[in-house]
Amino acid sequence: MLRSHDVLTTVRMLQEENLDVRAVTMGINLCDCAGGDMDTVAAAVEAKIRARAAQLVAVCDDLTTAYGLQIVNKRLAISPASQLLEGHHGTEAAVRLARALDAAATAVRVDLVGGFTALVQKGMTPGEQLLIESLPDVLAATQRVCASVNIATTKAGINVDAVNLVARTILRIANATASSNGFGAAKLVVFANIPEDNPFMAGAYLGAGEPESVINVGVSGPGVVKRAVERAVARNPACTLDDIAEEVKHTAFRVTRTGELIGREAAARLGVPFGVVDLSLAPTPRIGDSVGEIYQAMGIAKLGAPGTTAAVALLNDAVKKGGAFASSAVGGLSGAFIPVMEDHALSEAVAAGTLTLEKLEAMTAVCSVGLDMILLPGDTTAETLAGLILDEAAIGVTNAKTTAVRIIPVPGKRAGDRVDFGGLFGSGTVTNVNCPTGAETFVNRGGHIPAPLRSLGN
Amino acid sequence: MAPGSKIVASILVADRPGIMRDITTAITDLGGNIDGISQTVVEGYFSVILTAAFPQPLEPPAVQAAIACRFGSQEASIVVRPFVPVPREPRLAGGQRYLLVVSGRDQPGILKRTTTCLAARGINIEDWSFQFDGTQVTYIGQLTVPRNVPIGDVQRELHRTLGQIDLRCTLQHENIFRATNEVGPIKSLLQESADAAQP
Repeated sequence: MLRSHDVLTTVRMLQEENLDVRAVTMGINLCDCAGGDMDTVAAAVEAKIRARAAQLVAVCDDLTTAYGLQIVNKRLAISPASQLLEGHHGTEAAVRLARALDAAATAVRVDLVGGFTALVQKGMTPGEQLLIESLPDVLAATQRVCASVNIATTKAGINVDAVNLVARTILRIANATASSNGFGAAKLVVFANIPEDNPFMAGAYLGAGEPESVINVGVSGPGVVKRAVERAVARNPACTLDDIAEEVKHTAFRVTRTGELIGREAAARLGVPFGVVDLSLAPTPRIGDSVGEIYQAMGIAKLGAPGTTAAVALLNDAVKKGGAFASSAVGGLSGAFIPVMEDHALSEAVAAGTLTLEKLEAMTAVCSVGLDMILLPGDTTAETLAGLILDEAAIGVTNAKTTAVRIIPVPGKRAGDRVDFGGLFGSGTVTNVNCPTGAETFVNRGGHIPAPLRSLGN
Repeated sequence: MAPGSKIVASILVADRPGIMRDITTAITDLGGNIDGISQTVVEGYFSVILTAAFPQPLEPPAVQAAIACRFGSQEASIVVRPFVPVPREPRLAGGQRYLLVVSGRDQPGILKRTTTCLAARGINIEDWSFQFDGTQVTYIGQLTVPRNVPIGDVQRELHRTLGQIDLRCTLQHENIFRATNEVGPIKSLLQESADAAQP
């Protein structure tokens, strides 16, 4: 028998504290759509997605009604599109494929489709090279297609040639979408140690070893965690950090189980296996739904001040502990995100100058996922972008964790300018790289940074 | 438990320590085994409903008299009837459990509006509780919703009728509450729901 207190606690989390499911993402394997004629491939891709995902949104809407819980985004993650580009030539083929994905996503009413992906940590096939080089046209020509490139793993090391290619490509994407302030670059994530089952965009894709089709779920909950911390502090203003960690852990337990409930129900109704709950705390630009506000509730008045990285580590660890007990199906990225533009508190701290790019980089060493949704001046060079990607990849490879870079060089903008992408992508202030030049010779050497010693674990 | 007997009893009495002892002693001394019981206290009044099985044939008045002699004259209202199994309302077979939470300023008519809406759709109230906080009241109802009732329509009707008197309400499947408050595997919880949904 449920107690009144339990019932009202759940209602409060759902009604007042922004507990929702951030993403229900259906993975779909498209390898069987490969072929020599791109028109045929595109038609097969569109048909398969329409068939597999036709009921995804309707099922999510039914679950929203039954549970009184908002499912913010319904998304698709496909097997790497680069596999469908093998044997094809010219940007037109990649754009044709991307348009088919866009059309299919529109038809089944999902928000985004991820998996325009290349895995190039050790080397690059012709199809992967074509995918990367076509990204400016693809991301400018489509609305819902998201891309990712994995340039490093702990096992393989860092493919510096790929990093340089991607860095140059990011500038081309930004210029190809200059009329929307380089928004195309917000749809590309550069990964180290990309997870195969991540439900969050822009980096979702269906990796090797995954089923033919699968449902993965990304939970949210920054607002719930923040309120829990605030209540702990209100109950006992002298509460210690371990008291706060305990509070976060218990809240993460509830949040994670909500995600698993929705994921398993959705999977059962759609007739596909359930995959994982990604227990990342994913903020939105809404006030009260911010990861930065959690750190403030802990006592970090100015985000970026010394101690901020420790606060991030505390939160990330407590979320994992609560989530790991809640469910044995935890996967994906599973950490606290720090996407600057999508989190109003982080965005304000960057605008105020207390939170710098370099501090954000330090924070990514102890959380998920990396330098995320950061606006850079339009005149940032490819070498500078490559250096940022290399630094993040080094953190990921050395610590055997996922790191990522989603940076947007905004054409025509300078440090301090404001940019607004709208919706969940949020708004922010263009920020400076503290020391933007000086590593060009290192970056341009290219080649490969060998895997660290810890890769030899067998 | 043939050839014995079974009764259902309801007792209403001003609350005080020892009521449960008095009732259960009376039944136990008659050789009875209490196999179903639910009690509550509202505004200082204690109420209990129970079922009890006896190994021997026993008429309800004998049980009533045994309980009554444990209380002062006029202290308790006692009803004892032969237990007759109540068949489950066919529409509720395979129904799903939902929780209704209604909250806002206390005023006459809240329960009438709510229960009228539920009864019109054949929704059964399994449990109902409330709590006051000053002038504010919160009702929590555990309901069984027949399988073919569109829950979205019920939610909209409740929002409409209760919104007219400035009340808030939520109607959600009980699994969301169990998932966030229990520690058992989610798979088991969903299996229980699926089993219960079998007509």
